[in-house]
Amino acid sequence: MKNLFKEFLKGIIRENPTFVLVLGLCPTLAVSTSVINGIGMGIAATFVLLGSNVIVALIKNIIPARIRIPCFIVVIATFVTITEMTMKAYSPALNRALGIYVPLIVVNCIVLGRAEAYAQKQTVLNSLFDGLGMGVGFTLALILISGIREALGSGKILGYTLVQKFEPAFVLGMPSGALLVIGLLLGFFNILKGRRE
Amino acid sequence: MKEALRYGFILAMICVVASGLLGGMNSLTRPKIIAQVQGEEQAALREVMPEGQHFEPIKKGKDIIYYKVNNKDGKFIGVAFEASGKGYSSVIDTLVGMTQDGSIAAIKILNQNETPGLGARIAESSFTGRFTNKNIQGLTDIQAITGATISSKAVINLVQEKAKEIQALIKNEK
Amino acid sequence: MKSKLIVNVSPHLHKDESVSKIMWMVVISLIPAGVAGVLIFGLDALWVILLGIVSALITEWIIQLLTKRRVTILDGSAFLTGLLLAYNLPAKVPFWLPVVGSFFAIAIGKQVFGGLGQNIFNPALVGRVFLVASWPKYMTTFTPPQNFDAITSATPLAIIKEGRILEKISYLNLFFGNRGGCIGEVCIFALVLGALFLFIRGYISWHIPITYTVVVGLFTYIFGQKGLFTPPLRAGAGFGGDWLLHILSGGLILGAFFMATDYVTSPLTRCGQIIFGIGCGLITAIIRLWGGYPEGVSYAILMMNAATPIIDRYTKNRIYGTKI
Repeated sequence: MKNLFKEFLKGIIRENPTFVLVLGLCPTLAVSTSVINGIGMGIAATFVLLGSNVIVALIKNIIPARIRIPCFIVVIATFVTITEMTMKAYSPALNRALGIYVPLIVVNCIVLGRAEAYAQKQTVLNSLFDGLGMGVGFTLALILISGIREALGSGKILGYTLVQKFEPAFVLGMPSGALLVIGLLLGFFNILKGRRE
Repeated sequence: MKEALRYGFILAMICVVASGLLGGMNSLTRPKIIAQVQGEEQAALREVMPEGQHFEPIKKGKDIIYYKVNNKDGKFIGVAFEASGKGYSSVIDTLVGMTQDGSIAAIKILNQNETPGLGARIAESSFTGRFTNKNIQGLTDIQAITGATISSKAVINLVQEKAKEIQALIKNEK
Repeated sequence: MKSKLIVNVSPHLHKDESVSKIMWMVVISLIPAGVAGVLIFGLDALWVILLGIVSALITEWIIQLLTKRRVTILDGSAFLTGLLLAYNLPAKVPFWLPVVGSFFAIAIGKQVFGGLGQNIFNPALVGRVFLVASWPKYMTTFTPPQNFDAITSATPLAIIKEGRILEKISYLNLFFGNRGGCIGEVCIFALVLGALFLFIRGYISWHIPITYTVVVGLFTYIFGQKGLFTPPLRAGAGFGGDWLLHILSGGLILGAFFMATDYVTSPLTRCGQIIFGIGCGLITAIIRLWGGYPEGVSYAILMMNAATPIIDRYTKNRIYGTKI
């Protein structure tokens, strides 16, 4: 049990997909304009990660090594399409806000990366917790980045105005702002890592 | 050769299972998705024609040119239509409600990607509100947003142009 | 007993120059433009300049304390960054705008890269571009000149961009700064005075600023309004863009002579500097004529800053005795 918890925890800090593995930056840059988008993207990716990790771990003995990548992609794409359909049916506004980046979860390196580097060598249960940990780590990173960008870039958090008369710096809502925030955060976490070691 | 066939078979099996799953999922969510799309369309139309009750799409071939709007007594009161055109840095899509006598009921910006903080303010009600109750001939008097003249003028022009076109079409409508 | 003999590596020829001295000389050369800016736009301009400088110095000081490096706020480089940033702002901006701009210029534009000499981009321009993207409303609201007969508050380039026709503005007006614009960019006369000082003392060479200006002039002459490709296309339209207007308006002179020539962010060799100047000129003219913004000097210089390492690599001087 303790082992499983460790598998879950490593995705959040020690092997955080965004700040340590530096994977899946494309959706991170694109959708982190507001916290609600960040959470939506995080949940969608977590669901896909969970599904693909479990299925890949289940069928790892059936698929031959030479065609594993197409097999993984089919599995991942299936889960992504399910996510997209559900999102369209129950939360069209979020689906529109995330736009093309929902179908693009298929090529999110975190998902394929975990299938390739972890799930195809591990038990189903381990993979489940790994996927959950990675998904939560990704979601937390998205919340942090989008929180900073939304607070400073539009003066709001989840749509609520924080400080009256604050004049937001629009650049943080633009793509260049995303690069800036992620770059500074990566540097900051590297300093922390350097201190700990 | 035999190996390749085996690979193909395995991949095909995975694809079959995946397609089956997606097919099932699609039949589950499809009605819901259609309902959502229609609901949003209705809500947007209500917004630009608050007095309208019944919106009937008038089509030319497959494309909707405009919606004929009737009020709750079934009387024809005006039309709603989409107008789009080039802004400062993006294509601006608007939905316009126009009464029978050619004055604007309301407009709504459906889609735009103008400069945040300047041109993007065309989507705010403080700007779109300036269109309400204006006759389409007098749209050019509408005051532009300070610092965002090009985006504002673009909206005014694209609305006016399309409105004149639609007005010519509905002249004989009762 | 200490030896009186000092063993040292070459070069042994010393010149009485230092980074610090050069920085202060550039500051001195910029004084006339600042005085002109204050005369034209009133005391507001002075406050913007002071705020820009002071907050640049404080930011530099705090960051150097935090990172436990030697505090070098008196070497003039932070002072110059703050000054140049303020020169790139309109006169009537809220007080926090130059403060935030200077902070960003020093912290993100310079110290993040490791301080003076390590930065890829001109810090003052990094600050300015950040402000333009963040608070476009303040950065594009220009005040009309105070002490002349106000002609218009919109900058000449913005007027051209919107397709309106410039009226009542002569080249002489432009030359002495009787127009809307940023504090330090409007008075060409004062800027040229400062630039001459730097030329005579040998702190800047002609390679970047002159090629930059000439290319902008030439390009706008050929392609500008009434130029070769002005619709409707007709045979024999010939050249005739308003090149003088393009040289005298916007931030071209300030940018070409005082910011593109920054030692850290421009190429080392003469040949490289000429390439740099041509690149800046082309990008500026293209943005002005066909881009989304009325003015493109800051973006042009920043883009060429990014290209500087590559230019340096391909224009390396051949060391005597080696093959190319």
